Amino acid sequence: MSVRKVPTPSGTDSTRAGLGPTMRTLPRRLWRSIFRSNPLPRNELERSQAVANNFFFHIPSAKVHEHTLRPATTFGLGLISLYTFIILCVSGVLLMFYYVPTPEQAYDRMLDLRGAVFFGTFLRNLHRWAAHAMVAVVFLHMMRVFLTGAHKPPREFNWLVGLGLLVLTLAASFTGYLLPWDQLAYWAIVVGTSIAGYAPLVGDEIRFFLLGDDVVGREALLRFYVLHCVVLPLFISALVGLHFWRIRKDGGLARPGRD
Amino acid sequence: MPRPDERPSFEPFPLEPGKTYGLMAVVPARTPACETRTEEQVQAWPAALVRELLLFVVTILVLSLAALLFDAPLEGLANPLHPPNPAKAPWYFLGLQELVSYSAFWGGVGIPAIMLLVAAAAPYMEWRPGGEGVWFHKSRSAANWIFLTVVGCLGFLTVVGTFFRGENWALVMPW
Ligand code: HEM
Repeated sequence: MSVRKVPTPSGTDSTRAGLGPTMRTLPRRLWRSIFRSNPLPRNELERSQAVANNFFFHIPSAKVHEHTLRPATTFGLGLISLYTFIILCVSGVLLMFYYVPTPEQAYDRMLDLRGAVFFGTFLRNLHRWAAHAMVAVVFLHMMRVFLTGAHKPPREFNWLVGLGLLVLTLAASFTGYLLPWDQLAYWAIVVGTSIAGYAPLVGDEIRFFLLGDDVVGREALLRFYVLHCVVLPLFISALVGLHFWRIRKDGGLARPGRD
Repeated sequence: MPRPDERPSFEPFPLEPGKTYGLMAVVPARTPACETRTEEQVQAWPAALVRELLLFVVTILVLSLAALLFDAPLEGLANPLHPPNPAKAPWYFLGLQELVSYSAFWGGVGIPAIMLLVAAAAPYMEWRPGGEGVWFHKSRSAANWIFLTVVGCLGFLTVVGTFFRGENWALVMPW
């Protein structure tokens, strides 16, 4: 049986020593088991390692082009889209602890958030404004991509993934709009879903499928709740993963002077 | 074509400890790996990642400030018997609702579907290289004008639907 040697600060061979060295080297070994390189890098090698060995930093690449770093290349709009989505997920999960998706309780829970829940007003406000911001910023991001020609080959497929994200973002915002169950929410969804009914041939079927009923009611609230809290965020997360992976596979962000 | 057993065999060279070895290939493409001007690449850490984290902090701060200063609207309990006049969709659908007031099918289904299809087809139609990564590149001015015109129309309809439509969807002044 082979025993791995663990270097101790004093340089002694700890394999034969007892509990003392084991405990003394434990924090260091525990740290090393999680972080395999220096999290505060001092040279180029360690800087590459800091990126390559980090789960989150592994999504972007270890090196980026200077053009990518210029603020006017992207205005950070794609990243802000991601950040609003993260803020929405966190504040949304916190809201789920209080919310009940039934016509009897939903509106009362909104009043509770305002009156009884610690930071409830702030939480609801944050979720609401972040949702509006996400729709606007995703749209602006799409405009910046087009106006900088960043949708052209080889990035055409990522543009399609982006269109999918735009539709999902609108759907997530729209399904969330119903949940407060106030007059604003209710009638916006009545108007919005009646549009689905104008589709030829299958319009009424689509509408019924969305609402689970002929009118906006108990079934619609439950369906919108499940779509809003589970289905759509999962699909968005998956597509965002594909979107970022494709950015790397397409050779980083579009930049001039390659021909 | 040489048969597999005719392929030259390579002597494995001695691997040096402390080095990483990778298998490289030459491909007919222009990927960053083939970039000759590698000096224009910088380490993502810290230059890019610090900026990205900073942007996250700024986003959180701005949205938190908005949440502290402005309250989300909450009207009376939903009442299926009392429709408000006018009943409006969320703002990002008001351009479409405005179109729906002219033609239900075209506003609600036809035009949005066409816009999505055209957007999806755009990079496959405009496929010749040129102008990537440059704002409003001269060689792309036609495409940009079409795009901006569509966005401008949608924006105009959204503003009309949001601010200039009152009871029974009649034109009103917002002041
Ligand atoms: C939830 C929505 C979205 C998120 C989180 C997102 C995120 C990002 C990020 C972080 C980037 C890196 C560059 C940048 O920040 O601009 C990017 C690039 C890109 N996005 Fe998105 N995006 C979203 C929606 C869209 C939409 C709606 C489109 C277009 C229809 C799109 C098309 C693209 C393309 C083509 C690139 C590559 C741009 C380049 O190479 O310069 N994305 N996206």
